[in-house]
Amino acid sequence: MSKDTNRLLGHADEADGIEEYDNPLPDWWLGLFWICILWAVGYTVHYHFIGNRSQEARFEAEMAAAAVRWPVQAAEDVEFAMTPEAIAGGEVVYTMYCFVCHGQNLEGGIGQSFLDDTWLHGGSPEEIVHTITNGVLEQGMAAWGTILSAEQINHAAAYVLAKNAEALGIPLEQITAGGEEGSEEGQDEGSEGGSHGSEEGSRGEEHGEGGVGS
Amino acid sequence: MSQVGTAAVPMPNYDDDIVRKFFGATVIWGAVGMLVGVIIALQIAWWPANLGLPWTTFGRLRPLHTNAVIFAFGGNICFTGIYYSMQRLLKVRMYSDLLSKLHFWGWQGIIVAAAITLPLGMTQSKEYAELIWPIDIAITVVWVIFAINFFGTIAIRKVKHIYVAIWFYMSFVITIAVLHIVNSLAIPATLFRSYPIFAGLTDGLVQWWYGHNAVGFFLTTPFLGLMYYFLPRAADRPVYSYRLSIVHFWGLVFLYIWAGPHHLLYSALPDWAQTLGMVFSVMLLAPSWGGMLNGLLTLRGAWDRLRTDPILKFMVVAVSFYGMSTFEGPMMSIRAVNGLAHFTNWVIGHVHSGALGWVGMMSFGTLYWLVPKLWKRELAYPKMATQHFWLATIGIVLYTVSMWVAGLMEGLQWRAVNDAGQLANPFFLDIVNRLMPYYWMRLLGGVLYLTGMVMFLFNLLKTIKGSGASVSEETHAPAPAV
Repeated sequence: MSKDTNRLLGHADEADGIEEYDNPLPDWWLGLFWICILWAVGYTVHYHFIGNRSQEARFEAEMAAAAVRWPVQAAEDVEFAMTPEAIAGGEVVYTMYCFVCHGQNLEGGIGQSFLDDTWLHGGSPEEIVHTITNGVLEQGMAAWGTILSAEQINHAAAYVLAKNAEALGIPLEQITAGGEEGSEEGQDEGSEGGSHGSEEGSRGEEHGEGGVGS
Repeated sequence: MSQVGTAAVPMPNYDDDIVRKFFGATVIWGAVGMLVGVIIALQIAWWPANLGLPWTTFGRLRPLHTNAVIFAFGGNICFTGIYYSMQRLLKVRMYSDLLSKLHFWGWQGIIVAAAITLPLGMTQSKEYAELIWPIDIAITVVWVIFAINFFGTIAIRKVKHIYVAIWFYMSFVITIAVLHIVNSLAIPATLFRSYPIFAGLTDGLVQWWYGHNAVGFFLTTPFLGLMYYFLPRAADRPVYSYRLSIVHFWGLVFLYIWAGPHHLLYSALPDWAQTLGMVFSVMLLAPSWGGMLNGLLTLRGAWDRLRTDPILKFMVVAVSFYGMSTFEGPMMSIRAVNGLAHFTNWVIGHVHSGALGWVGMMSFGTLYWLVPKLWKRELAYPKMATQHFWLATIGIVLYTVSMWVAGLMEGLQWRAVNDAGQLANPFFLDIVNRLMPYYWMRLLGGVLYLTGMVMFLFNLLKTIKGSGASVSEETHAPAPAV
């Protein structure tokens, strides 16, 4: 503070004895103030008028970059199979994510039990995959499609179906063949019927979302 | 240069009784507010401390803590300092003793009402403006009483020049009135419930215009006023620069009022309003540091006393924390930094470096200087004041460092994705569990700070009760061993 005059203003008698110096503003402080002001003007002009940046543009750029790096792998593109590998993989997924609500032994808890013959949201592989992917938000089931990969979801569905068949004493082959006793389409066209129903369900949901958005 | 002090002029009949009253309220509510803070810090680290009762859960005690430390502790210390200093700076007794008393008892009544309604779950759900509409009306009435008394005193002042501390007090009185009234506008539905007149985003913006300026004009400008009076008095040094005090005052009050939208970055708020909040926050850096500089440079020639004088220790650390948190604040308001920091414990750490460091330490320094003056006794245990200083300083450091680490950890872990593009930490609870050591460390910091507060209460109580030597005897007896 080389420019300090240390000259007293002489107001002390009007400030309970507190004296004040007539020192100039410190140069570096004044410089800092100007830099902040100029930066504020420059940033605002650049953000809104030169760079034409916006929150929406940034979101879209991030989503586009993510789409290139992680191409969408739709659940339908990954084949569902009741192989021992899939069931084993599903057990890993189940014990990491699902057991918290559905129970260590699939007996249920916060979520539904998988040991009985009741499927609230459909019991075909496609329906189970759909339920896991999109969740049932009003009942507290999260949409795992954003967290798990399509393969992990298929594995989890296979595991749940296998354990359910085991609990109900149904031979595993019956499930692998896609046959569902409770399916409305009947046993003969079970697999196609289930798939059809699932598509209808997802279409309906998309429609519903569109309605909310518009 | 005529050196005219308080002793040289005929002493007007100042009302110090009201100052003593506000002092008592300050330390009682301060201890309560800090105790509740420690309890809720324990609840975060160890949930059974919620006690399983609705009245004692975190969600109800947290607003009790914030209201108690900001409006009960912070408010009462400001009123203590204002009633003491403005009478002396303006050389006149307060405009009306009746208004002073109404202000005091009204304000304490509001605090009691807050302490009852908040644990009962009665709230408007606006941060720092939780109190229900009948209490909001009471606040308005009491604030207007204070404002009439305050400006009445300025009107009948016996000096021409208005010292810088008074300008800061004025910005406090005017701006808080405007902020409180606008943000509390609501249509009452029942005695305990009301609906804000603003809706949605507008309500959010008004809330954070209020919320941020509660920090600016309740926890900053009146405390700068206290600094401009009590720091030069305690150091017995001239204020470094009159010019700096003018420039940083106007810079501060002009820029602060626009900074609120930085609480709503990356929200539905239009981009231009987000930019406005951000750039005004960045420009606030220099005016804020102007206050810090004027405080620190006023101590030129008194630095040697820092080794021995606990009052100056408190004030220097207060001003330093003010500088630190007013650097951190503008930085956190930058879009990219805010994207990481928002909703994390870093924000909690930032608030507490301001609240414990700036507001708390400035209050302690002021009262260690003021209480001996008010009761004409020397401080009973100066050594204990120094111990309080170190406990409080270590407590703040533990608090802010643990919250920095916790905030950065959770901010980074929330956004982390794995190679498959999925969330690397899909379970929020996993991240919470990793924060546990830092929650305990924060609790330790808070306990140290509260312990210092208890020592402060004990020391001042002993001073008032007469353990210290009478000041009029001008004795400098060695402090009793603690």
